[in-house]
Amino acid sequence: MSDHYQVPETPAQENISFELNGAAVIRSVPGAGTLLDILRESGQITSARAGCRVGRCGACQVLLDGRAVPSCLVMAWQLPGHHVETVEGLNKDPDFLSVRDALASESALQCGYCTPGFAVSLVAGIRQRRQGSTVDLTESVAGNLCRCTGYGGLRRAIDQLSGPGCPDETDDRGVSLSEKQ
Amino acid sequence: MTPENSQGDVRNLVTLDGDAIRKATSGMDLAQRIEGRLAYATDQRHLSGLLYGAILRSACAHALITRVDISRALAMPGVHAVIKADDVPGLNRFGIVIRDQPVFCDERVRYEGDAIAAVAADTPEQARDALNAIDVDYQPLPVVSDATLAEQQPALHDSRETHGGSNLLARETLERGDLDDAFSRCAVIVEHHYQTPRQMHAFMETEGGVAIPDGKGGVLFRAGCQSGHRDAEQLADILGVAREQVTVESTATGGAFGGKDELTVQPAAGLLALKTGRPVMIHLDRFESCRTGMKRHPVAVKMTTGCDAGGRMLAHKAEAILDTGAYASLGPAVLENYLDHATAPLYRIEAYRVSGRLVYTNNGVCGAFRGFGGNQATFAVESQLDELARGLGIEPATLRRINLRSPGDAGSRNQTVRWTAPPACVLAAALDSPLWSRPDTDTGRWMTGTGMAMGAQGNGLGDGLPDSGGGRISLSPAGRICVEFGISDYGQNIVESIIRFVCKGVGCRETDVEVVLGRSRGPDSGPTSASRSTVLVHGVLASILPRWMDAVRGHAARVSGHPVKGLEFGPGGMFFDGQQVLSYGELAGSANLDEMAASASQNFPVAPDSGQPVGRYLQLQIATVARVAVDRLTGRVRVTDLHHVTAAGRVIYPPGYLGQIEGAAVMGQGMALTEDMTTHDGCYQADNLDQYLIPTFHDAPVQRVDVLDDTPEDDPYPVRGVGELGIEAVAPAITAAIEVATGVRVRRLPVDPGDLLVEMAAQEQNL
Repeated sequence: MSDHYQVPETPAQENISFELNGAAVIRSVPGAGTLLDILRESGQITSARAGCRVGRCGACQVLLDGRAVPSCLVMAWQLPGHHVETVEGLNKDPDFLSVRDALASESALQCGYCTPGFAVSLVAGIRQRRQGSTVDLTESVAGNLCRCTGYGGLRRAIDQLSGPGCPDETDDRGVSLSEKQ
Repeated sequence: MTPENSQGDVRNLVTLDGDAIRKATSGMDLAQRIEGRLAYATDQRHLSGLLYGAILRSACAHALITRVDISRALAMPGVHAVIKADDVPGLNRFGIVIRDQPVFCDERVRYEGDAIAAVAADTPEQARDALNAIDVDYQPLPVVSDATLAEQQPALHDSRETHGGSNLLARETLERGDLDDAFSRCAVIVEHHYQTPRQMHAFMETEGGVAIPDGKGGVLFRAGCQSGHRDAEQLADILGVAREQVTVESTATGGAFGGKDELTVQPAAGLLALKTGRPVMIHLDRFESCRTGMKRHPVAVKMTTGCDAGGRMLAHKAEAILDTGAYASLGPAVLENYLDHATAPLYRIEAYRVSGRLVYTNNGVCGAFRGFGGNQATFAVESQLDELARGLGIEPATLRRINLRSPGDAGSRNQTVRWTAPPACVLAAALDSPLWSRPDTDTGRWMTGTGMAMGAQGNGLGDGLPDSGGGRISLSPAGRICVEFGISDYGQNIVESIIRFVCKGVGCRETDVEVVLGRSRGPDSGPTSASRSTVLVHGVLASILPRWMDAVRGHAARVSGHPVKGLEFGPGGMFFDGQQVLSYGELAGSANLDEMAASASQNFPVAPDSGQPVGRYLQLQIATVARVAVDRLTGRVRVTDLHHVTAAGRVIYPPGYLGQIEGAAVMGQGMALTEDMTTHDGCYQADNLDQYLIPTFHDAPVQRVDVLDDTPEDDPYPVRGVGELGIEAVAPAITAAIEVATGVRVRRLPVDPGDLLVEMAAQEQNL
């Protein structure tokens, strides 16, 4: 018996309207339901996946008004008036395509369960940098966990996406990360 | 392996770097994974009439069950079925080695993940609500929580034949030589205690899947698993149906690492599906996964090791206790592999006696996990070598060089072994690592250090266990070369390796090949474990490809009118005189496809020695050099670099090889630094990934993998499986580096930053 999700009674449904991948949607859901549940129950979205449901693993990462967020932490009542993008809606987006190609060419995945979440985070990071952010692209995946790869392929993919002339990474605690080998 | 380089001259060392990966990467399967289009076992919501299942878990780590009342739950809205122990028509037990785990407990619960009942309902919420309405009365029993005391406490399993009716599930001793005499001749003897953690697999896709009834009493399972055929056998026994009525399809699975080797949700899902006549999905959330899933066996060991004044290791003794938790699962096999590695298989030692005791406790359940006991043992063994070197006042590498086995030596259990390179070469290559020449810095806050360790790893189930598997090749109606194996795909790149084998053997292109895995209706390839898949696939394909090509060539000759001699396989079809004369599609349409199929099953390669079960025949090696930075303020350890040298045969698919080594190494780093599912009174102290910390991108080191491919041309087993090799030597390499940085040797994992700080302070006071 899980002690964590005891819902004493089925809560009332509310009509929640928001924009999903460019299209207006209305869903009848519990107000305290999560965006992740809404996406999964539609059956149309398979890229956002439950990994931890506490916002730690990033497997359910989506773009909310362009910012990468774990959809398990977005409540249904927060959605009206906002725009949600998933990988399904990004598959013609040039930023996503460059991320996809970098991940594929560097073989940055194994089981692939976490990968769409990483891709969403990287797309958000690339867009932020284009808008003038100097934050390192590696920071964008700080909220994503991968258990298969050891992040080697992701490191190479991020190098590829960061392009030449990117400033050297330095650790904020003062230790220089090792030079590339 | 020529005589010249058996002394340690390194040749044929290839770095698997980004260029090698980009050149080799097969994009065939990757885009659909990145775009989220690959359907996992838990992505089956489109099934019509799908119900959601949920499992009631024990409220106690150890208790008698005096009452289970499902009547309130049955009346809940949306509920279609509630089942408990007396609803199991077949065997209410499962387990890979010993079937001692109840599908549903009826008299007693032995850990907090034990299942008591299950519900199927229209929605997941309704199923969970119904669980809350099941009334269970418990009579708590004393909790067996300390493995070292378990044998003195009342037995968890009273009906089983454990040793003397105690909690001792298994004990085993491996020995050779006159140990007392050998110790009496030692100049240096070191004795230490080591402890390794209860690591969690933490695959990203938690346990789950769907059971679909066929309307005729049978069930199709689509669930994350590692051994479809074996699962089908166990499930048939549980469901009380014939083996043929159970089908398992296991692909695709979002990570496994051993944690899906045992049955998970399948028994409850299958029973609910039969009861309701509808498909039932069960997908554990992370909380339930943490609470119920397999873990790595924690091991406490006392090791005593001695060498003579010249550094030759003479005597080695180990006494280990492995906590297997409430049920056996693969515990006895883990104990065997632990002891195998505890003999220090890379080194010549005159006499040893390594013994282990595997005990039941109420601390969850432990089972298969990448490394399978081996890496726990290697941590202690490699640490002991460093201690001996210090005792002698020589470099750790020198001590290793003195004692490493040479090609032609027997294995540590006197079995014949087959390496692909001399251990001395692996050591020499590791000593060439550029990490050694990085200056060690002490910035006041961060102290850096570089250390290394070595490890050996065998392929296959070993120890005389039955180990065989088969595969099949055919031409599909669509004209693709269809290769079937029973192994599961959970991302380990076995598909790409199979495609490479076939393309190389046949001369076709990648898109001509279709790989079908993980179906219990297809060939039985044995479990997807023990780093055995690649070896098996290579062996089976080597045996069936020539036969299949002869059959296809014969058909092509009849259809095309060209002579058999001169017909060649090529990209897209058959060629004669450099011209394509038939596409594979045309060929498929022109003949009886059954006549163009070949299959074979073979035994996994084992040592040709007769007699007693012995250690593994196909042996791999790794040396891992670790560079760490230790924070003097917090005691936190950062692993900045890992440099591995592997000797594991030829590389078939470079991205897969690199990914296995890198991924396993970071998993080993997690075990060394942060990961431990601790228990209190038998209850796990972490319940999700915000408390149980696995490495993130920013924790992961820069890694380099150098492959020593010195595989002899005539080696009949030139390809080895590297799924577990990368984890073997990481932990002791990290603790060796910590010692270089701080002067403190850590013998208990994961490294506790507080303890490390205390030791560092003591160390500095002594200076």
